[in-house]
Order: sequence, then structure tokens, then C-alpha cells
Amino acid sequence: MAGAWREADKALMRVVAFVAALLLLIGFASEASAHASLVFAEPRDGAVLTQAPKTVQLRFNESVTAGAINLIDASGKLRTDAVVDAKDEAIDVTLPADLPKGTQIVSYRVISADGHPVTGSITFSIGAPTENKPPQESGAGIDGLIWLTRLGLYLGLFAGIGGVFFVNWIAREQVASPVIHVSLIVGIVSAVASLALEGLDVLGLPLSQVLSVTPWKIALGTSLGPSLLIAIAALIAAMVALRGDVTGISRTLSALALAGVGLSLAASGHAATAPPELLTRPAVFLHATSVAFWLGALVPLVAMLRKPRLVLPVVNRFSRAAVPVVGVLALTGVVLATFQLESFGALVTTRYGIILLIKLALVAALLGLAALNRSRLTPALAGGEAAAKPLMRSILLECALAAGILAVVADWRFTPPPRSIIADAPLAVHIHSDKAMFQVLVSPGRVGFDDFVLQLMNGDGTLLHAKEATLTLSLPQRGIEAIERQGTLEPDGFWHVSKVPLAVPGRWHMRIDALVTDFQKITLEDDLDVATQ
Amino acid sequence: MGARMIIRLSILVAAALAAAPASAHVTLEGKQAAIGTDYKAVFIVPHGCAGSPTVKLRVQIPEGVIATEARPVDGWKLDTVKGKYASEYDVKGSKVSEGIKEVAWSGGELPDKTRQDFVIETYLTDRLKPDTTLYFPVVQECGQGVSRWIEIPADGAAPAHEGKWPAPGVKLTKP
Repeated sequence: MAGAWREADKALMRVVAFVAALLLLIGFASEASAHASLVFAEPRDGAVLTQAPKTVQLRFNESVTAGAINLIDASGKLRTDAVVDAKDEAIDVTLPADLPKGTQIVSYRVISADGHPVTGSITFSIGAPTENKPPQESGAGIDGLIWLTRLGLYLGLFAGIGGVFFVNWIAREQVASPVIHVSLIVGIVSAVASLALEGLDVLGLPLSQVLSVTPWKIALGTSLGPSLLIAIAALIAAMVALRGDVTGISRTLSALALAGVGLSLAASGHAATAPPELLTRPAVFLHATSVAFWLGALVPLVAMLRKPRLVLPVVNRFSRAAVPVVGVLALTGVVLATFQLESFGALVTTRYGIILLIKLALVAALLGLAALNRSRLTPALAGGEAAAKPLMRSILLECALAAGILAVVADWRFTPPPRSIIADAPLAVHIHSDKAMFQVLVSPGRVGFDDFVLQLMNGDGTLLHAKEATLTLSLPQRGIEAIERQGTLEPDGFWHVSKVPLAVPGRWHMRIDALVTDFQKITLEDDLDVATQ
Repeated sequence: MGARMIIRLSILVAAALAAAPASAHVTLEGKQAAIGTDYKAVFIVPHGCAGSPTVKLRVQIPEGVIATEARPVDGWKLDTVKGKYASEYDVKGSKVSEGIKEVAWSGGELPDKTRQDFVIETYLTDRLKPDTTLYFPVVQECGQGVSRWIEIPADGAAPAHEGKWPAPGVKLTKP
């Protein structure tokens, strides 16, 4: 019996070896061969049509398998209701009947017979090319949910993780407070929900699409992806640190979680990405960890004040540490506000500024209470247990104010800071290698149709005489494959490419090929941040 | 399945795959060539430009490749561009400082999806570096459109398959 099994094993091994060899060969074979190419498109790339076509036909020079075929309509929405029909070298996309007027993009990723992916995009316009305008707002329902999940996330990060840190480092004993535990859970749920909602928002999809893979994948690709993953990891670390007694391990975990709060918020968002990032990212990190330290203390303090006799040394410890923390908070806050606002006027003329003013008023009230606690109510605690009641009431009020601040701040998700609104100046990108320098001007540099001016120079700054210049743009994150346009050399000595459809905001990849001689070209690549407004 | 059977099957599959019309790029036949020896460069043109027939093929001869002689192809006119090399080469006792720098076949019409080989006989001087890849940039002109097989990976980069239009290349070995 055993012998028979061994034989079977050997046979199995041979089959496995054979399959492995086969796969290896196929792998090599497909590496050696190459791609199909698009030979015909109806409507043709760049066409302006009076009426919406029923279908888009793509024809390749050999049989292809359809990979991702995406339709992005003139309002910048990824449409899920286009029907793709692929057979041999033909791909037909049946378009939905309700396409808005303006420019639509059909992006294709197909697989050649040999397994090599081939990608590209064609655009066509119905009526006339889309004018530059901000894309339609996503549904108010989603906006409300996004705000709510932001708030939930802040609760988890500040009250939850901040609370765990307080328990481990200031109180130095477990504090029976279910609020911290609940905050952490709310934080995790909100972080996961944020991810899905962000994906839906970016793609302009309704809430019903939340269970499909695409929005999740897209959101993970944005800067919010890593930010939320860090947040979730920190929240879980804090939950572990909350279990059992305060030990070396739980203290380490809680400190790591607190750092996670800073890292998470510094990884994404308006403030962290404001130039100069070398300054703003660390500022956001310090600001966020300070907030967590301060707000995190409030909930456990209330819980501990129920037994006022034990609480005095804890309150004193917190009080001592809080002074420098509030200093850091104020300093980093001022730095960040300066970079975001750029002028005092923006405080009252922009929604961003007004939100900041409300926040500052609430923070002032919070600081007033904190000062009162420190100078009057805390010292009174030494006098007797009766003094605990006023301190407790004051801290509860602080909690309410803190919740208000977070609710206000969560609204910043929807308001671009003034620094990014003034962008009516064209976007300038400088790409450099040892061989060449390309200066690229993109106007208006926003979502819509953009004109590109390419200034091609040699490495030493002299004019680069090119025979051809090709501009290629793609946004793979959003399923838009290469849009390719030839530049024309105009009398000003620059290469011009007009009306390139940058249909959606995001970090586009830009590639410029300058043909120097028939046999030599210089290729430089860079990214281009395209904003909504 | 016996072991021998498997080996036979493997060989069969390998042969079938190797014989399959390989590439949609313009490529060079053979994987490597030794420096300091004669080299017959066979350029394989497997198709036209996005469906359009090939009407002209131009090949640039890289520095360090000398004594170039292009083979005529039936129905095509052969032209060469001569010029000075960047440096002087000492081959079999005689000094060579100029020669063919570009070869062009034109006037023919090679339909899409039809393979044709274009052959250039050369000598690879020992000034070329072994263990590098020697690239021959090729411009394929078609009835409609041009395909420029001229992308050469930057120094140090892997011999990229990532480019869309890689120049055909051959790995150089020691003599």
C-alpha cells in the first residue's frame, strides 16, 4: 500500500515539474513577443460630434482580450452602465443614452494574444468640447456620511488612542471607562467606512456600489489609503494596550498608537501636503499627537474624578505635561494656518477661513476652561472631595467643546484651503535630466481642457531642436490609460498641445518624448497634480 | 505518464513555442554576438505600422560597428549613408576611420502581418564592451505612419521591455 502511494507521489511530482516547465516556457515566450495596436476607432480620437454616438468601436490589428474598458463621461464620472462587447480584433462599447454634452473618454486596456497588455484612451465630444468647470458635486447623502465618518475617526484617534495613552502614561493604572473602548471601535468602523466612501466619492458612484471592488481599490491608491491603514493599525494597537494591567508592553503600544495618530494625519490631507511639505508634515504630526494627548485626557479624568482622593497626583502630572503640549499645539496651528490661508482676509472671505475662525473661538473657550482648571479647580482638589464636582463639570464642558471642534474640523474635508484656490495661474512643471530640461506650462492647470506649452532645452539650458514632440498623459489610478497628443512647433519656439482632456482631478502621469534625430529621442517623465477648481 | 514521455512532451511544447511567429517588435535574430568577429545582423520585420504596409526601413549603424555591407532585398532599393566614425579602428592591420553609418531599404511594399528579414554584414570591433547590449536603432516607415524602434534603456537600467518602441539589440560577448 505504502509503495503505491510513493508511486503516486512521484507521478504527481512529475506532473508538477512538467506544468512548471510549461509555465516557464510560456512566460518566456510572452516576454519575447509583443503587442497589438489600435488601428481604427469610431468615433476617431478627438472627434466633435453633433449627436451622441450609440457605440464606440475599437479595432485592433490582431485578436485581443478586453481587460478594463472604462467610460468617463463629460461630468468626470466613471460610468458603469456602458456595455462592452469584445470579439476577435473588435471591441464595441455600447454607450448609455444619457451621456452629458461635452467630452467623454474611453480608456482601454486590452491583452494581446501573447498576453502583453496594450493600453490607451480615445476622447470624443458631444456638441462641443467640455468647458473648464468644476465637476458636479457628489450626492449630499455621501457628503454627510463622509463628514460623519471623519468625525468618528477623529473620536477614535483623539478620545480613543489619546485616552489609552493617558491611562498608560499619566494615570498609570487602568481606568474603567467604556467611553475609550467605544471610541476605538467607532474609530475603526469609521476608518473602514471612510475608505469606501472616499472611493465612491472619487469615482462619483452612488452608495449602492459600496460592495464592488473598484471604489476600495481606488481609495487605497489615494493618499488617504495609507493614512487610513495607519489609523486602523494604531486603533488596534490601542485596543490591545487597553486590555489588562498597565505594563511595559501596553505603555509601548500606547506610545506607538499615539505616534500613529500623527503619522496617519500627516500622510494625507490639505495641511500635510501644503508646500513646504518638509515643514508642514512634521507640523501636522506634532499638532495631531498634541491634540490626542490633550483631548485623550478628558474622558479618563472624568471617570477618575468619581474617586477624587486618588486623582490628585494624576491631575498634577497631567497639568504639568499639558503646558508644553498646548504650546506645541498653538505653535504648529499658527504655522499651518499661515501656509493654508496666505492672507488675513481669507479668514473671512473663504469658507475654509470661516471654519478656522469658528474652530479658533471654540479652542479659545477650551483654553479658558483649561486655565481655570489649572489655576483654581485643581489646587482646590487638595482641600477636599467637594472640589471634585466643579472640576468634573468643567471637564465635561471641555469634552463638549472638543466634540464641537472636531465636528467643525471634519468639515474641512469639503473645503479647499485658500492656497489652492488662487490657482488661476498656469501650472508649471520642470523636468530635468542630465541630457535635457523640459519646462511645461499647463493652463488653466485644472480639470477640463488644458493647453500645454513645452519648452525643450538641452541640459545646459540652450534650445533643444526637436523634430517632433509627443505628450502622453495617463491616470491609471482612475482607469485612464495613455492619452497621446502630438505637439506643434509654433513661431514662439515652443511646442504647443492644445485642449488635452484632463477629465478628472488627480495625480496624472506626464511623459514627453522629444525626437532629436530620426534615430534618437529624449524622454522625460513627471507627475502633474490636477485640481478640481 | 513515464518520465521519458514527459521529457518528450516538454521538448515538443518548447519547439512549438520557439517556432511560433515571435514578436511584433522589429528585432534582431540571435541573442548574442562576440566582439572582434564578423557579425551578420538579421533584422526581422514581422508587420507594418498599425496595419499599414512597410515601405521603407532605415537602420543606424552604432559606433564601433564597421565594415558594414547591406544585402539587397528583391524589389527594394538599397541606399547607404557613409561618414566618419567617431574614432579610428585598427582591423587586421589596416586603419579604418570611415564607413557606412546608415542603411535604408525603400521602394518595396511589405504588407502588414508579413515577415521579411533584412540583413547587414558587419564587423564588431573589440572597442565594444562585452556584457553590454548593442542597439541598432531602426525607423520603419509605412504607407501610413512611422514606427521608430529607437528606445534604448538608460545606462544601468535593465534591458527594458517596458518601452513601447525598443530598439533591436544583441548581447555582446568576449571574443
